[in-house]
Amino acid sequence: MSSDFYTSFIQPYYGIIIKICRAYTDTPEDFEDYYQEVCLQIWKSRNNFKGHSEWSTWVYRLSLNVCLTLLKKKKNNHQHSTSGLLPEELTEEPSAFADEPLDQLYKAIRQLSEVDRAVILLYLEEKSYQEIADIIGTNPNNIGVRIKRIKERLKKILDGKDN
Amino acid sequence: MEKTIETIWKEGFLNEDALIAPKVNNLYDKKSLHIIDKFKKMFLNNIWGIIIGSSLLFIGSYFLGALLAGSIFLIMMLYVAYTAFNELKSLEKIDKGQSSYLFLKSFKDWIDRSIERYGKMYRFVYPMLILTFYFGIWFSDSLEFMRQKVSEHSDLFFGLHPGTTVLVVTFALLMSIFSKAIHRKDVKTIYGGIMNKLDASLEEMEHLRE
Repeated sequence: MSSDFYTSFIQPYYGIIIKICRAYTDTPEDFEDYYQEVCLQIWKSRNNFKGHSEWSTWVYRLSLNVCLTLLKKKKNNHQHSTSGLLPEELTEEPSAFADEPLDQLYKAIRQLSEVDRAVILLYLEEKSYQEIADIIGTNPNNIGVRIKRIKERLKKILDGKDN
Repeated sequence: MEKTIETIWKEGFLNEDALIAPKVNNLYDKKSLHIIDKFKKMFLNNIWGIIIGSSLLFIGSYFLGALLAGSIFLIMMLYVAYTAFNELKSLEKIDKGQSSYLFLKSFKDWIDRSIERYGKMYRFVYPMLILTFYFGIWFSDSLEFMRQKVSEHSDLFFGLHPGTTVLVVTFALLMSIFSKAIHRKDVKTIYGGIMNKLDASLEEMEHLRE
């Protein structure tokens, strides 16, 4: 990957990538792997960008897809490697990120379903319902209701009322 | 909860530490190590497969009354396993400190050299295995009735059926001539998946280096 490509096409959007990768990873090591994989996939798929949407929208979509794929792979590996373990051994790794309100929020976001994580991230990035629907590939009519439900769930988790 | 999630989100990212991007330089380190580890594991399993398989055949040859053929077979296969084991040890000599690209490239060179060496070795091993198998089975105690039956219908040459022997020897010679190509195909069948991944990674990395 040339540094020109990185500087021009990835660096301006690295904030987006970081935010998405953090929502799908529990540890800094995984976060680095996901970030690097997303950057590589952006570079590899750059010729598939046809300009039908904005570059940033495309980056969002690609980042989400890469993260979901990696998460799926990780889950499968985890299932294979821990098939003999007892359920109580399968607890989430403690987060290695600092314990601040943003980290609490991320922790709460990580408890959501994979699609809900994507929806709330895009909402927090102030994307319109239409853009969210375009990126995720759903109907914009349901996005508002879904966001409301997710926010309520997040509030419960952050207040410690959600099991 | 005092702050809304929108506020937490906005305020959280005002802190520059929250947006530090990792360096995109060691992308292939894990991938390359993973490829080679997987290959090593398969290679080692293969060696054990050869040892166990030939030992079972040796035991079988005892019951068939072809102990001599079984012994030759076992010795030859143990030699193959020993060579393979040494090859695997030489793989450890590849410098892991070099870049992922050079590391994978050295690994690919190692595979090519290994195929070349094995190809030469199999030039003798393949025909020897076939002939040992043929002579061993034919002269085994359990096929004595067959030898007698064949000798009633046709003349035997040193106790062998000439037509069948010519066919088997021709086959063994062909195996010897095409040993490299056959071995290459063998390797592709067993390690094809990993080799394709290796080629794809090298291609990507060469592209990245442009």
